[in-house]
Amino acid sequence: MNQNQTADLLKRSMPFQTVPGEMLEAIAKLARYESYARGDVIYHQGDFADDVFIVSSGAVQHTLGIGFQATHPEKIVRSGGVFGWAAVLDNQRTRMAKTVCMERTELIRINGEELINFFKATPETGDIVMSRFATMINKEYTMPEEVAGHVPHFTQVPVTVATGLSLTMFRLSQWLKSPKPYLMMTGFGILLATWYLAVEVWKLPRFADMPGLTTVMKEWFSKDPVYGLSIWTPEYYQHIWVSVRRILIAFFLATVLGVPLGLFLGWSKTFREYVFPVFETLRPIPILAWVPLAIIMFQGSETPVIFLTFLASFYATALNTMLGVETIDESYSRAAACLGASKWQVFREVIVPGAMPFMFTGLQISIGVAWFSLVAGEMVAGEYGLGYVINTSYTMVRYPTIVIGMITLGIVGYVSSALVRMAGDYMMQWRVRELALGGR
Amino acid sequence: MSAVMQDLKVPPQAGKAGGALKGAIRIEDVVKIYDPEGAAVMAVDHCSLDIPAGEICMIVGPSGCGKTTLLNAIAGFHSITSGKIYLDNELLCGPPEKPMAQPGADRIVVFQNGALFPWKSNIDNVAFGPMMQGKLSKKEIYEKARSIMADAGLSGTEHNFPGEVSSGLRRRVEIVRALMNEPKVLLFDEPYRALDSLTKSVMHEALLEIYYKNKVTIFFITHDLEEAIFLGHRLVIMTSRPCKPKKIIDVDIPHPRDYSVLTSTRYRQLMDETVELVHEEAKKAFSAGEKEG
Repeated sequence: MNQNQTADLLKRSMPFQTVPGEMLEAIAKLARYESYARGDVIYHQGDFADDVFIVSSGAVQHTLGIGFQATHPEKIVRSGGVFGWAAVLDNQRTRMAKTVCMERTELIRINGEELINFFKATPETGDIVMSRFATMINKEYTMPEEVAGHVPHFTQVPVTVATGLSLTMFRLSQWLKSPKPYLMMTGFGILLATWYLAVEVWKLPRFADMPGLTTVMKEWFSKDPVYGLSIWTPEYYQHIWVSVRRILIAFFLATVLGVPLGLFLGWSKTFREYVFPVFETLRPIPILAWVPLAIIMFQGSETPVIFLTFLASFYATALNTMLGVETIDESYSRAAACLGASKWQVFREVIVPGAMPFMFTGLQISIGVAWFSLVAGEMVAGEYGLGYVINTSYTMVRYPTIVIGMITLGIVGYVSSALVRMAGDYMMQWRVRELALGGR
Repeated sequence: MSAVMQDLKVPPQAGKAGGALKGAIRIEDVVKIYDPEGAAVMAVDHCSLDIPAGEICMIVGPSGCGKTTLLNAIAGFHSITSGKIYLDNELLCGPPEKPMAQPGADRIVVFQNGALFPWKSNIDNVAFGPMMQGKLSKKEIYEKARSIMADAGLSGTEHNFPGEVSSGLRRRVEIVRALMNEPKVLLFDEPYRALDSLTKSVMHEALLEIYYKNKVTIFFITHDLEEAIFLGHRLVIMTSRPCKPKKIIDVDIPHPRDYSVLTSTRYRQLMDETVELVHEEAKKAFSAGEKEG
């Protein structure tokens, strides 16, 4: 590994990220290259801490000893990762962890003492690097702040560990540096550009009558809309609220009834024999086929729409919850039985939480189909609501308003699924953390 | 059957370790015939085995030979067709009156793929058994859980979820969760099968360390001879399906053991003696085309 490659590697590591180029090259001169085989132990807990290590390729298992109060004592360090930071702490030069190579690993090592001496000449940069070391020790290695605070500082300003806000800013800047936001914007850009070009510039044959991008935007944001509906008119929000209220009621009922039904369907074989065939016969009937019956069955215009919305959601929720129960590994129930749980305790402690990932997938689908059937219902039987807006705008030849209704549906629908997803993440912390560790 | 009852021998290992040990398992002439769609398949064939209290008994056999069936019968997950199984002279199961044992905290299974509840933190998993049984207060249970986890070197991971720690640590938490209930017997169903050999060697030493502190009876299923000789007091080599003991071998390497055992001459000798026996059965199982399980 030559000096440029070493400098590049340093640049990728969290503590050295902000160090200017020529200084990186100088630090690179301090570094030594080494390679290890799978299973090699780089150091044991209690060894003298001489060097810090930066992984170039491979993977190193880093296990902090008991008694250092790390909340996550185990960590896999991969390319760009830094370990062996005990070598720069000013109170403790002994290793606190054991490190083992999990595969063939290439890394560079830099003597802690030499690094600190180097930074004495450039105290400002040194403090930035050391405070980033402290943040890394605290956030990535989950060590208490007291330990992280023992990195040396060179100027009069004391070193601080990054707090909530600056950490969020760090993550935000990382996100902005990644290609994700730009890919997302490109996707939207292509959609809008195609629309604009097809309708307004090229005037393609079948697109000529469609409302164009600029027409719709002007109408949507106009204080005095031609067709009476824009973000400045109260009717716009009334329509949104009516639709949202129907969704809330229908989704609530579907969840309250669908989840227990699904749980019992999955749990009790006998119950399933009775109910499942009926369920499976009713489920394929399209929601639109229910419209006439819904109008006959329920009074007024509100209840039939809510019923239709409820029905689609209910099937999705119940079915997915049932599948969730079925996919639970039998050893969980057996383990619970071994540990003395009664049948009811197994249901409460194993079946319910075990089915939760599928249950929330069901709720995601459920909120999606709820909007789908809501709009169908509103088009046929509603007064007010976004589906009603779209339908009446069509009959009254208010084409831009149709598109405003559609875009609004898209946004409100997206927000509602995001809320369901957030609720799921909140209730399944175990799963969020598990997936986060898997790099997803 | 009463004649068999009378010649119940004094367990050889139990005597040495102190008289009050519990957890002697007695398997008497057990037969298990599965009957899927009328095609009778014999999984266990007139199997008899005496496991004295406090012994580490390694059940070695090819995959799918029916050893898990035996474990499930002891644990109370499956019925048996005939025969009897006793724990400390109390009948666990014996058809026709009692074809299936009741699962209980005196015999705890450590599963092949691990069965820590991923939705509970490590300490909640460890506290699970006593919480369900409701014999102690919540405070007492959690105090005990913390101290037993500390003993096993698990301090600092109490509030992690199982998915956040390494597979080796997870296995250790699972064993601690079982020990929390002071079981008489631990039933291991190839628990280290999915681990890599580095982690496995660490886990073996950790298991022995836990065993030396707790001295429970261990019924350990494996197809890994190295593991079987390193851990066990005795190896019970099983025939391929239907399964019954083919040969029982005493491992006369003294406990406590550590990994230096693997380089000893005696270990090599035992390995030589057993490898042919096991290989023979594996070949039979292979040519019979049996599935895992």
